[in-house]
Amino acid sequence: MGPMAIEVSPATLVARVRKIRRGDASTLFVLDVQMEAPPGISILYGPSGAGKSTLLDCVAGLAQPDEGRIAIDGNAIFDSEEQLNVPPQARQIAYVFQNLALFPHMTVEANLAYGLVHEPEQTRDVRVSEILKMFRVEQLRHRKPREISGGEQQRVALARSLVTQPRVLLLDEPLTGLDAELKGSIIDDLRAWNAAHKIPILYVTHSREEVDALGERVIALEHGKIVSEGTPREVLDAPRRRWLAQAAGFENLLSGTVLDLREPDGVMRVRLVDAACEIEVPLGHAAPGDRVRVAIRAGDILLATEPPRALSARNVLEGSIASIEHRGTLVIARVDCGVVFTVHVTPGAERALELGVGKKVWLVLKTHSCHFVEG
Amino acid sequence: MNIEALLLSIRLALCVSAILFVIGVPLAYWLAYSRWRWKFLLEAAVALPLVLPPTVLGFYMLLAMGPRGALGKLWYGAFGHGLAFTFAGLVIASVLYSLPFAVQPLVASFETVDRKLLDASAVLGAGSMRTFRRIILPLSVPGIITALVLSFAHTLGEFGVVLMVGGNLAGVTRTVSIDIYDRAQSLDYAGANRTALLLLVISFIVLSAVYGVNRRAGRRAWAPWPLR
Amino acid sequence: MLLSAMLVFRPAGAAQEIRVAAAADLQFTLDELGTQYEKQTTRKMNVSYGSSGNFFAQIQNGAPFDVFLSADIEYQRKLEAAGLAEAGTLYEYALGRIVIWMPANTRIDLAKLGWKALLDPSIQKIAIGNPEHAPYGRAAVAALRSAGIYEQVRAKLVYGENIAQAAQFVASGNAQAGILALSLAISPPMREGKRWEIAPNMHPPIEQAAVILKSAKDKDGARAFLTFLKSAEARKIFESHGFSVPAPGRASAQPQ
Repeated sequence: MGPMAIEVSPATLVARVRKIRRGDASTLFVLDVQMEAPPGISILYGPSGAGKSTLLDCVAGLAQPDEGRIAIDGNAIFDSEEQLNVPPQARQIAYVFQNLALFPHMTVEANLAYGLVHEPEQTRDVRVSEILKMFRVEQLRHRKPREISGGEQQRVALARSLVTQPRVLLLDEPLTGLDAELKGSIIDDLRAWNAAHKIPILYVTHSREEVDALGERVIALEHGKIVSEGTPREVLDAPRRRWLAQAAGFENLLSGTVLDLREPDGVMRVRLVDAACEIEVPLGHAAPGDRVRVAIRAGDILLATEPPRALSARNVLEGSIASIEHRGTLVIARVDCGVVFTVHVTPGAERALELGVGKKVWLVLKTHSCHFVEG
Repeated sequence: MNIEALLLSIRLALCVSAILFVIGVPLAYWLAYSRWRWKFLLEAAVALPLVLPPTVLGFYMLLAMGPRGALGKLWYGAFGHGLAFTFAGLVIASVLYSLPFAVQPLVASFETVDRKLLDASAVLGAGSMRTFRRIILPLSVPGIITALVLSFAHTLGEFGVVLMVGGNLAGVTRTVSIDIYDRAQSLDYAGANRTALLLLVISFIVLSAVYGVNRRAGRRAWAPWPLR
Repeated sequence: MLLSAMLVFRPAGAAQEIRVAAAADLQFTLDELGTQYEKQTTRKMNVSYGSSGNFFAQIQNGAPFDVFLSADIEYQRKLEAAGLAEAGTLYEYALGRIVIWMPANTRIDLAKLGWKALLDPSIQKIAIGNPEHAPYGRAAVAALRSAGIYEQVRAKLVYGENIAQAAQFVASGNAQAGILALSLAISPPMREGKRWEIAPNMHPPIEQAAVILKSAKDKDGARAFLTFLKSAEARKIFESHGFSVPAPGRASAQPQ
């Protein structure tokens, strides 16, 4: 990684965007978000149709919000009240599209130089050479996009957007379709570049692995609204939306009704529907009588073949094994306590406890393994 | 064999193709990228010459070029003589008549350029002119060639409109199609056949040359890279 | 005003219908003749107007007409020579006349100046029929030569494909004067303009003839029509439409 002469000053992207889009069959989609992206990688995570690409388009200036304000380091590039709308050409924001949009009739070199027309030729050549080196695509200089591989195209697309030294970088699912190793090396290059140029990077993805690999901050978007924000751990391990829970691998999603809240203890009691049993979960935004969902990881549930005693865990449920499935070194037991739980144990445990279908067992759930989920 | 008429026709076809390129490209650009809700009306207007019989178009052009017509008054005021029976009159009438043949291939070509490329160009700092010059135009070469060839060929073979406003003046408005018609009317079928054959051969050579070049240009230009 | 060079069909329904191909400049004349004819006989007349040259080519290729009327006897003579016309039916029904015609609002005193009117500087374009194949065009050129002004006006001439188009050029104002068929000049759309008759001896005669085609389906009907054309009544109609009618017996065909 060579030294880059110019440093872009660290600046935060602040965006408040409201945009209504009329779909077909009189469906209405409303994007209504307020977010901040400090220098570093912020991940926009969510299912398709959530509005991630629309948000990126608004930030880039390719789409116009109906109402809101977008600013970088305090300088507004869009403000509906002031009737300000800086065109995309002038925003100095780089955007890598999902299909890359490399200019097919130009060489890699010409593609890279495209954004640098206003620079004197010397500077242009130097910057192009440096970024070719940085992203390790020097040898492709004179090739056309159709002559290089998918991974190489990705690097070129990234290089093209970064050579202009933008203030913000937007990436729309840039790594889909690449194998893990390729993804890894590109992510490394991106991080290296980011370390040298501290600008906000908005990274859109629906891949869990990318969140884990890249995530400094995650913003979860659903139906045009931000439903969760924080570190990957916070957003995914304490998922507050059902799809987040499913994405994060919570095998158990149970419905229940809130019985009462116990604020001093920081818990609330929930009666599980169909189970006629009650469990304690961490306190959430709910009132007695509300229908809620509770998410529990299969690996967080303990199995006992005798009624356990003197445990710190507050939730003990009696039931019987409905089925046992083996998947590699994982034993998946389905236990019927009125509601069917999915429990993961090791083969060793299965043998030691002599688990079999029909056997009466007790399930132990820690309060903090039970996550209150909306939706 | 009337070489003069043939040369006149070729000159007319070249002039008309050049003019149609100059006015066709901006018009096609607007039609391809504008989102005006009444755009469809303009599209229909541009396509009108396709359905109007050429003699009808020619007839109304004749009236428009006359002393009572808008065009005629303008021309007379500027140049002191009429527009009908002049080469310029033929050019103007032919431009109108061949307009859709130039504009429609251009619009189709512009519309097939990937919108994301235009977005990428904008984000990289290029204004509309530069995006047009460096992205849209190079990627529309086949469409441009089609437009030019169609304009040329259509004008070369034009008869009805020239018949109505030309006045059959040798070297000025007696195009090769009028010449062939005259010979047939005078029952000089041999003469008509000779000229028609010459026209056919020349047209075929020109078209083959253009399509041959276009094919090679098409291969050198971009081909869609493998989708990921 | 839409004098068109295109074909015009007059729809006719009943059987016993003769199909007539006629030169475009006969439109008004034949319309009146047709009405008279249909009154007198029980037959109907179906006329197609167009260019004589086109009809000639079509007839050679089997177009289904019964009678062919043109403005130039040459076509009929050629059809006879080619064996496509019924022997002995060639009939010269009229001699065409030409006039100088200018729009009513012209400032030139045509009646007084006659030929000299064409030399006026305000006359930039003079429309005539195409001399290569339109008899009225040939006659116009011959008359201009006889009048001794052909070389002077030559550069101003524009050529209509047929006499009807020449009329169109002047009527639309694109040509300031024209040498047209008298029959056109006195027809309703052109009647209001100024005209100056050109003496017939200034140009070779414009012999207009009719012939029955070999391919005629209704030969009796066609013969009846030709007989009608020779009648005194028909001759009166021709004259009123600006044609001179040759004295009976002048027909350039063998007597029936």
